[in-house]
Amino acid sequence: MTIEEGAKFVASAYAVILAVLVIYYFMSARRVSALERDVQLLEDEANRRQGPAGGAGAG
Amino acid sequence: MSGWAQFRAILRKDLIRELRTRDMLVSMILFVLLAMVIFHYAFTVKENADLTYFTGGMLWVTFIFAMLLGLNRSFAQEKDERCLDGLLLCPVDRVTIFFAKSAGNLIFLLIIQAVAVPVFTLFFIEHNYAGDLLPFLVVLLLADVGICALGTLLATISMNTRSRDLLLPILLLPLIVPVLIAATGATTLIFAEGAGFADLAARLLFLLGFDAVFLVAAWGTYDFAIGE
Amino acid sequence: MKKLVIAPALFAEAGICLIAGLLLGFWLAPVDASSMGYSQKIFYYHAPIAETALVAFGVSFVAAIAYLRSGDLKWDRLSYVSVRLGLLFSILVMLTGMIWGKAAWGTWWDWEPRLTTFLLVCFLYAAYWVLRSVVDEEQRRATYAAVFAIIAFIDVPVTFFATRFLPAGMHPTVITTGGTGMPGSMFVSFFISMVGMTLLLAALTRRDLAIEKLKDRVADLKTTIGG
Repeated sequence: MTIEEGAKFVASAYAVILAVLVIYYFMSARRVSALERDVQLLEDEANRRQGPAGGAGAG
Repeated sequence: MSGWAQFRAILRKDLIRELRTRDMLVSMILFVLLAMVIFHYAFTVKENADLTYFTGGMLWVTFIFAMLLGLNRSFAQEKDERCLDGLLLCPVDRVTIFFAKSAGNLIFLLIIQAVAVPVFTLFFIEHNYAGDLLPFLVVLLLADVGICALGTLLATISMNTRSRDLLLPILLLPLIVPVLIAATGATTLIFAEGAGFADLAARLLFLLGFDAVFLVAAWGTYDFAIGE
Repeated sequence: MKKLVIAPALFAEAGICLIAGLLLGFWLAPVDASSMGYSQKIFYYHAPIAETALVAFGVSFVAAIAYLRSGDLKWDRLSYVSVRLGLLFSILVMLTGMIWGKAAWGTWWDWEPRLTTFLLVCFLYAAYWVLRSVVDEEQRRATYAAVFAIIAFIDVPVTFFATRFLPAGMHPTVITTGGTGMPGSMFVSFFISMVGMTLLLAALTRRDLAIEKLKDRVADLKTTIGG
């Protein structure tokens, strides 16, 4: 096998590694933004319920 | 009641219950014999195909799948009839339960093998291998112990989950691949080449080591597996 | 809104080591003299990824024991995060191993010790996930998962040892009894990449743990509001 042919395999191996890690990272990054958004919404909602009624809610 | 007496009591209960109805044993035996017939048709597409080096594989695949059926059945029965709950209410050491159940499963597996092996030799083995019987029995026993120990531990877990029957094979099969490798290799060498203890030493030692390691591991974790 | 950026220093360190290892591997280390030739260069990431996967599973093993002893769910969290990352790295080992196999020996798959062990490892830890998904109650799920994680990790070296009974494969041995069998420049590149991969594992673990904590926070908030 020549160096060029070998290099093609080597390049694809490293490309696969990079691709998989990057995909994993970005998929979890998307989840993080969704979760942070949820936390913000839920915290606002919790504050809103505790605020005005101060005990008139279900909790 | 001493640990040994408890062990005997639980083992006796399981054996008597099964021998009274015999439905699990009969089903497992039928399954094993049917599997052999299927193997014949699966592997002899070519006329007069030589199956000499397939013997170990065929035998152990059959045993493992029969064991999966048996484990599922015996634990499902226990759970449905609440036997295990009753047992846990008694002041029994959890580990004693583990050893008693494993021993029971081992005995069932040996009974099935006692029926299956002669039939297997009738179907697939040409020559007389009476001289090879002792090494084969040692292989059988060592591999069985490992399979039963892990099988009992994992069946205890899988019985308490949502997908009881389906989970056990998925958990057990990857774990016992090493046993399979050693057992099928040793069995095939015995049937195909008349190997003796000297040739099988490495595999036998491996099986011994496997059994020791996983008996200890199962002993250490069974308390948690069987739950509150 | 506070933006969650986790473990930036760890990621940076990992990145530096990995890039350094890569550059050294390509420009400093010589082309392999054996029949593998240029494709041997895959080794500089392939082997570290394999080691890192095993480290991840080791962490899950220790965390599982810690959970069984303490009952604290934070150990369970560490255990399954490590299993997930270990699976990720194991899949990478198999993919790169297959590409390397095709380059060096002309075939995509061979039933030799290392590929088969990692294949079985993937099945083992995939089973771990299936087990977790069919138990609804939190403590019980953590307990069962911990028991399985312990048994599974013990099985990894056992499996590797057993697959050596199979007919001799084509996989080159990295560490023989008489030293590493690698010229110094190759070893340096390999070592730096290994450090980098382990740092990457640490960074990803920290990150995933933080994400899981965030998920738990969301669940807690939902119950407080709902109840």
